[in-house]
Amino acid sequence: MSPTISCDSVYKIFGANANKLLADSNGSVDAKQFQEAGCIVGVNNASFDVEKGEMLVVMGLSGSGKSTLLRCISRLTDATAGKILVDGEDICLMNNKQLVELRREKMGMVFQNFALLPHKTVIENIAFPLQVKGVSTENSMYKALEMVELVGLKGRENYFPRELSGGQQQRVGIARSLAVEPDIWFLDEPFSALDPLIRKEMQDEFLRLQGVLNKTIMFVTHDFDEALRLADRIAIMKDGIIEQLDTPGNIVLNPATDYVKKFTEDVPREKVLKIESIMDPKDTNASDNLKVSKDDIIESVAEKILNSKEIIKVIDPKDSSEVGSINPSKVIKVLFGG
Amino acid sequence: MDKNYLETIRNSKPAQFGILIFIFLILYFLIPQSENNYLWRLPSVLKGIPLAINNVIFNALYEWFPLKVWDPVFEMYEEKAAFREFTKAVSQGLLFLITVVRELLLGGDKIIDVFVSDSWLKENDWLSWPALPWTATTVGAFLLGYQLNGIRLGLLGGIGALYISVFGNYVPSIQTLSFVLITTPICFVLGLSFGIWGYLDKKVETALQPVLNVMQTMPQFAYLVPIIALFGLGDHAGSIATIIIATPPMIRNTILGLKRISPEVVEAGLMSGCTKPQLLFKVLIPAARRDILNGVNTVIMQCLAMVVIASFVGAKGLGLNLKIALNSLKIGKAAEAGLCIVIIAVILDRFTKAWADKQKDYFENLTFFQRYKLLIIFAISVVIFSIIAFISGGYFDKINYLYVIPIEKGLTIAHYIDGAVDWVWETFFYSLNSFNKFLLTQVLGPMKHAYLGMPVIATFTLAMGAAYIVGNARTALIVGGMLLFIALSEYWDRALITMYMGSFAVIMASLNGIILGSIFGRTERGGRILLSFCDFFETFPSFVYLIPVIFLFNITDTSVLIAAIVYATVPATRYTVWGLKSVPLSLHEAGTMSGVSAFQRWTNIEIPIAFPTVMLGVNQTVVFSLQMVILGALIGTEDLGQIIFGALSRTKDGAGVALTLGIFVSLIAICVDVIVRNWAEERKKALGLA
Amino acid sequence: MKKFISLFYALVLFAGFTTVAKAADPIRIPVLNWSSQIVMANVMAQAFEELGYDVELVPAESATRYEAVRVGELHVAHETWQSTMAKPFYEAMDKGGLIDAGSHLAPTLEDMGVPQWVIDENLCPGLPNWEALKSPECQANFATPDSEGKGRWLEGPYEWHTDVMPNRLKGLGLDDQWMVKFAGSADALWAELAAAKKEGRGTVIFNWTPNFTDAEGFVFIEFPPFYQGCRIEDGGSVETTGCGSPIGWLKKAAHIKFPITHTSAYKFYTKMEFTSGNIGEMANYVDNGGMTHAEAATAYIANNRDQIDLFMK
Repeated sequence: MSPTISCDSVYKIFGANANKLLADSNGSVDAKQFQEAGCIVGVNNASFDVEKGEMLVVMGLSGSGKSTLLRCISRLTDATAGKILVDGEDICLMNNKQLVELRREKMGMVFQNFALLPHKTVIENIAFPLQVKGVSTENSMYKALEMVELVGLKGRENYFPRELSGGQQQRVGIARSLAVEPDIWFLDEPFSALDPLIRKEMQDEFLRLQGVLNKTIMFVTHDFDEALRLADRIAIMKDGIIEQLDTPGNIVLNPATDYVKKFTEDVPREKVLKIESIMDPKDTNASDNLKVSKDDIIESVAEKILNSKEIIKVIDPKDSSEVGSINPSKVIKVLFGG
Repeated sequence: MDKNYLETIRNSKPAQFGILIFIFLILYFLIPQSENNYLWRLPSVLKGIPLAINNVIFNALYEWFPLKVWDPVFEMYEEKAAFREFTKAVSQGLLFLITVVRELLLGGDKIIDVFVSDSWLKENDWLSWPALPWTATTVGAFLLGYQLNGIRLGLLGGIGALYISVFGNYVPSIQTLSFVLITTPICFVLGLSFGIWGYLDKKVETALQPVLNVMQTMPQFAYLVPIIALFGLGDHAGSIATIIIATPPMIRNTILGLKRISPEVVEAGLMSGCTKPQLLFKVLIPAARRDILNGVNTVIMQCLAMVVIASFVGAKGLGLNLKIALNSLKIGKAAEAGLCIVIIAVILDRFTKAWADKQKDYFENLTFFQRYKLLIIFAISVVIFSIIAFISGGYFDKINYLYVIPIEKGLTIAHYIDGAVDWVWETFFYSLNSFNKFLLTQVLGPMKHAYLGMPVIATFTLAMGAAYIVGNARTALIVGGMLLFIALSEYWDRALITMYMGSFAVIMASLNGIILGSIFGRTERGGRILLSFCDFFETFPSFVYLIPVIFLFNITDTSVLIAAIVYATVPATRYTVWGLKSVPLSLHEAGTMSGVSAFQRWTNIEIPIAFPTVMLGVNQTVVFSLQMVILGALIGTEDLGQIIFGALSRTKDGAGVALTLGIFVSLIAICVDVIVRNWAEERKKALGLA
Repeated sequence: MKKFISLFYALVLFAGFTTVAKAADPIRIPVLNWSSQIVMANVMAQAFEELGYDVELVPAESATRYEAVRVGELHVAHETWQSTMAKPFYEAMDKGGLIDAGSHLAPTLEDMGVPQWVIDENLCPGLPNWEALKSPECQANFATPDSEGKGRWLEGPYEWHTDVMPNRLKGLGLDDQWMVKFAGSADALWAELAAAKKEGRGTVIFNWTPNFTDAEGFVFIEFPPFYQGCRIEDGGSVETTGCGSPIGWLKKAAHIKFPITHTSAYKFYTKMEFTSGNIGEMANYVDNGGMTHAEAATAYIANNRDQIDLFMK
């Protein structure tokens, strides 16, 4: 099965003579050189795939090009060069009509500052993508009402955005992006504008939703902890270049560059690593008293493992089959170092 | 040492201004006043411009692109210019629309006439749309207000309509209303279209700016003659005059509003799958709603403020009645008509705002009757009141009071107003008279002479120097270029008189506004009351007090200036109130903790912070003052306004003269605008507010 | 929204075409801002309707209506005063499109004068003879704050007769004692009259007869008699330009096609010749009788049926 999203050597360069400069550079773009020529490099040679149902988190500091990359893939901005395939079709070649069709059927997007339409109520905002699609008022309203319930805003459907708190507004944003039941879900720093407590709550909510919906997701954030918490895989960007793209565990354990290392240094591993990343092969001595899932975060099951003092079976939560084992000593090593 | 001085001067604006004024004074006293000295007055090499403009208009109207048109009267083909046919069609269309609204409310057979033959209509006398009785209109106004925003708005509409009807202004008010109801949407559509175009295309926006500046600052009288030439006389001509003045703020507000939309909202629209038109009409325009509505509000206000001037080119209604009443010095009657204009303005303003805020309930489950309850009540009341009015037609002698109360038979408070005017005169005349004498001989006379005695080189040095100090060389060149255009015409001396009257009015109005705004604007309630006074004086036709000031101050510059100051105080006050509101609370608290007195707070905290906003108000004050100074020609002035007003009767080159001089007034306003705006921007930057 | 806009444009276009297509124009009569003119417009309107025409009363400005008549926007301009309106009248005629449809019987006089109370209170002994103006006491009674000690003549708007009055002062040798101030509008003249009356001060002011001020009493100053060519503007000299105003005409103007498009209305219009008494009667119904302009016209026609019938023949 082909990946849902597939990027091949995508460039985005801002500036008047970007095309010519890029053509001259033969694919090796130097940000400094380009800047001297009056161009700003947004995305520099990005190639990666996102599989169906996968959540890819794009992490980077501001100006790293992460939002630009997301906008290339949603074609809110046109990539300067490269191929971007969505379900096997190159969206860079699509005309306006096809693009509108694509967004109506397959894509949803959540924005950092919520981007709600100020003149519409909660329910009207959520129903908006349905209405532009031509769904009848009645049907779109019922669908929107479902969404309102899904994001836990029941009773506030006739509020205006200005009457809601930030967290509530973003729930509306999320509901709106999900109203057309898209396959692909883009989230551009959705929780950055929220205070830390609400952010945590929204992340939990987000994980719950993803558990139910199982969309293909690209999630942009500047918060490494958030990336670790949510991602199946993380792409770390700097100056338009993807420095490393890997699972959270691998990034923490094997940072590819110094830049990535700086992020990982202070990360408490037990909070990031899953059992999977430290488990041993299947062991016949493993106790039957306790089983842990390979997807469990170490910290969450550490106490259980240490209390049991035995080698424990690790299973795949999908089919409960045994995939490995774990020794408490390994957990101690992660927790206390050495 | 020397270098230090230079450095100080480079960094100190007051020092630079000091030097500028010094140079100005030297030039002022050194240049001899002589006809042949170009430093004293420039030669009028641009004398031919008015006639040239005039010829362009008339060529377009009567010669450019002639079409052969069959003339049924002379039974021959006649050459008619395409442009004239076009303007004729536009006029007819506009007039038709106004007539439709008018006849729907006042009755008549002109609409029916369009669809049937004349002779058939004449044979069938009964075939005429019936007038709506005022009782039904009042109920309608109440119901509409109630539907839009509950009982309070309903009462506003109902009582307003009742007042207008009972005081006998029903017919002219409906005439004015029909004029406004057609003109406002046209301004809205035009303003929105150009605004969107300007938003989408930067080049268009750049090209629009100077055009809008001129349109907004040009005295309305200046384009009345060209309008008559192009479009003739009638309500449509008034409507076009109004469109010229009322569309620019709509365009500006639209561009401003669209620009203020966060790019994320646009992206959200795109990601929701909007096509381009959907994006425009469902996302961009609604998201810019607040600014666009401000624009609509301004359009409505401008439409009603133009009602009197529109009657100069043939618009019927309150404006015409007001003008006729003033001509026989019936000030009370004129004031009553003016009051009706204000009432209509307030009702329309509140109704449009409520309409825009109205929420839709998608889940209410209503029967047909519930849904259209109010409409049905209205329909029933129309029928009932029409029947009552029809039956009682036999009861009343000649006039059917239940249909329309004519102006002579309505209630009136005109004699109270006249009494009040008399009282003011009796109470204040003698003290005001000596004040007037003092003002004219000690202040205005010398001021006028000082302006007229200014060598042209000194004027340019002062204006360009000030522009250079607050801006840069480019600003100075813009200001210089615009003034040069006037200085090379034969009207420079008149322009100086306009400047003298304008600057006096601006200074006084700004002081008034800043003081009023500062005193009343510091409390929420006071500010609100003050702002509603501002609304009142902006829509209340200035003509009503333009003539009575003659009672108190005779036909002198004082009368003109008093009227100008009253009118121009409005924007200065309004922006002062807004500016003071914008002072952050934390600064007030910081001030309180530093133990400032109320006066220190005002001079050290509020005024400096509010300054940039207040300066925008001063900018508006300049435009308002010049408008009224030009309108002062109705009292009697010797400035550009006198010629502009006089051009109304110059068949030969009136259109050209009026337009040229109108542009001169515009240029003066724009010069001041450039300087003041630069200054305000700089202060804003200095305060970190930009 | 989009539908609304396109509907709107369609409506305008439709309206434009349909109304243009209608051949038979209503007769368009200008309505200005003084009573007698408006009542006369209404009298004409009612008479034309009796003759079977449609009539439309169009608010207009006194000065601009000649251009409007010239291009056919208006069909008539029925009160054209010699001294204030002759210039635009003839200019429009020269350009083509406007024709002279004869004069009313009413003789008109437009000149400087004083209100009756000035005579009664003897503010300028010797008036109405102009020589009275020479006395310094008289002059002082008419000084204003901005007249620099001179007596003031309040002229109508400058464009009415441009420099005739300043020249007249020169011609009479009065320019050291008197100056001319131009009022901006007729409204301003009446306001000055009312103000001067309230204050009980004197004023020398431009006025005309027949006018509503006749009722309160107004005395025209007797200047040296007018003859053709006495004014500088008409080829006279400084010595002769002190002459007064002529007894003037009150003309009727019409659009060039009016005789063909509305033949019997034009016939009525050329025969329609009102006297000063007629005009005064029309104004009186409104100014003192409290009637509307239309009612006044009905009353006038009822009262002067013979005259109207004569015009209609």
